[in-house]
Amino acid sequence: MIKIHNLHSYYGAIEALKGIGLWVRSGKITCLIGSNGAGKTTLLKSISGAVDCKGSIKYNDSTELIGRSSQKIARLNITHVPEGRHIFPGLTVKENLEVGTINWHGFFGRMPYQKEMEEVFELFPRLKERENQLGWSLSGGEQQMLAIGRALMSRPRVLMLDEPSMGLAPVIVSELFEKITEINRQGTTILLVEQNARLAMKVSDYTYVIDHGRIVLEGESLEVRKDPRVIKSYLGKFAKSHR
Amino acid sequence: MDFRLFCTLALNGIAMGVVYAMLAMGLILLIRAVGVMNFAQGDLLMFGAYVTSSLILDFELPLYLMIPVSFICFVVIGLVFMFTIYWPLRKASYPAATIIATMGASIILKELATLIWGALPRSLPPIITDANGKPGILYIGGIPLQWQYVLTIIVGAILIFLIHMLFEKLYVGKMMQAACQDSYAANLMGVPAIATISATYIIVVCLASVGGFMIAPIYMVRNTLGTLQLRAFAGVVIGGFGNIKGAIIGSLIVGLVEVFSTVFLSGYKDVTVFMLIILFLLIRPQGLFGGKIADKA
Ligand SMILES: Nc1ncnc2c1ncn2[C@@H]1O[C@H](COP(=O)(O)OP(=O)(O)O)[C@@H](O)[C@H]1O
Ligand SMILES: [Mg+2]
Repeated sequence: MIKIHNLHSYYGAIEALKGIGLWVRSGKITCLIGSNGAGKTTLLKSISGAVDCKGSIKYNDSTELIGRSSQKIARLNITHVPEGRHIFPGLTVKENLEVGTINWHGFFGRMPYQKEMEEVFELFPRLKERENQLGWSLSGGEQQMLAIGRALMSRPRVLMLDEPSMGLAPVIVSELFEKITEINRQGTTILLVEQNARLAMKVSDYTYVIDHGRIVLEGESLEVRKDPRVIKSYLGKFAKSHR
Repeated sequence: MDFRLFCTLALNGIAMGVVYAMLAMGLILLIRAVGVMNFAQGDLLMFGAYVTSSLILDFELPLYLMIPVSFICFVVIGLVFMFTIYWPLRKASYPAATIIATMGASIILKELATLIWGALPRSLPPIITDANGKPGILYIGGIPLQWQYVLTIIVGAILIFLIHMLFEKLYVGKMMQAACQDSYAANLMGVPAIATISATYIIVVCLASVGGFMIAPIYMVRNTLGTLQLRAFAGVVIGGFGNIKGAIIGSLIVGLVEVFSTVFLSGYKDVTVFMLIILFLLIRPQGLFGGKIADKA
């Protein structure tokens, strides 16, 4: 689906990614784990055109994403749910979902999006109950549901999730991850970024481990989970990113 | 104070308040859209007043032609303003750069107006005049009201209402609001940033320029009209920063206080406006409607 080759990404003079190779497999959940500051968010931003980068990011083996604007990439139905949710605080739940349709709906278009909205409400009944509430008034878990729901409105073929578990209670996190696997079962390819390595490897098919802007380990999630280095740094009792 | 004088003053105050509200609404739209205080807002009003008066006085266009032509001018001014003052600086590592650019724009607009139309004030006849060419008067229950003030209120209120509806009810408006509230997320979702920001700048220029056109017959067209920005700013402070409804009410208060204070303290108009700002900053720094925004943020 998305093949990344020798990707370097920059914030001004700072090189945040130093030659990344990664393959987002069609129909699967691919996860990217790593500690704080490793470059996970930067990788997603590189795919969605929100940061300067060099190298190659190929979509469907033919379309080069580097050099395209975020808007053009969104129109390819590659959807990025940003870290920290970034819902629109002054818009209602329903309006937030409406904004999600912009990539296929067009600026002045008047196409119906009732079907998409019903599907989102079916997946997240809580959002239906709150459809006329303003974004800022939702709880953290509801905001994350809204951020994912808004992304689903864009008819994603690839859904990129940046730390969906951040700041949420464990019960809510497991509920949320069930929904994520559900979305994947219905055919959406997922690239999941997490600091919660245990959970991410449990739901994903393939895992990449990133550290200081480089991929240090990759493999089937089932295998990576057993790797002693991963257990030591990301899963063990004294792991730096364990929560 | 007799009742007739009171009505006349109230009408003038509300009319001026509506013009300040048009400026203030533009200020807030820009703060929300691009995060910048525009110090050239008052000069956009001044420039709009010159453009419209020039179309009437120099090109002698009738009103029905002058309105569409001036709208085209406002679109061009809005786009030029956005692509020179904002767009090249949007990624500047020093965020104050854009604010300073608006101060520069203020000077450029003033000098440009002087260069094109000269330094002398020009007088523009009111939209409605009586048989002798004097300002038209509307009598309601024997109370004389100047048509120009009445029209200013009507035109301003309609414009503010339409823009409010655009943002609240239409799909495009929601995209613009989204881009204003969180430009990063809006950009990731695929909201076209150039289109929404250009549209915002055009709306802001229209608001300011129409205000300038409406008060031109009252104040004369002069390059010092830009100082009205202070009043709009006071309205924004009184209403609570960032809240459009608050800014509209705040601007009306400024207009009324200013007009009524001239009766008692003639010549101290600016002082009363400054006093009002200071008073609000001391007693209620969050503004009249500030509490709600703090929650929203
Ligand atoms: N806007 C920015 N400007 C400069 N450096 C940044 C910026 N964002 C991130 N970085 C740097 O890039 C590196 C990777 O950051 P990020 O991708 O956010 O990490 P992660 O998401 O894995 O926590 C970090 O060293 C961080 O300091
Ligand atoms: Mg991150």
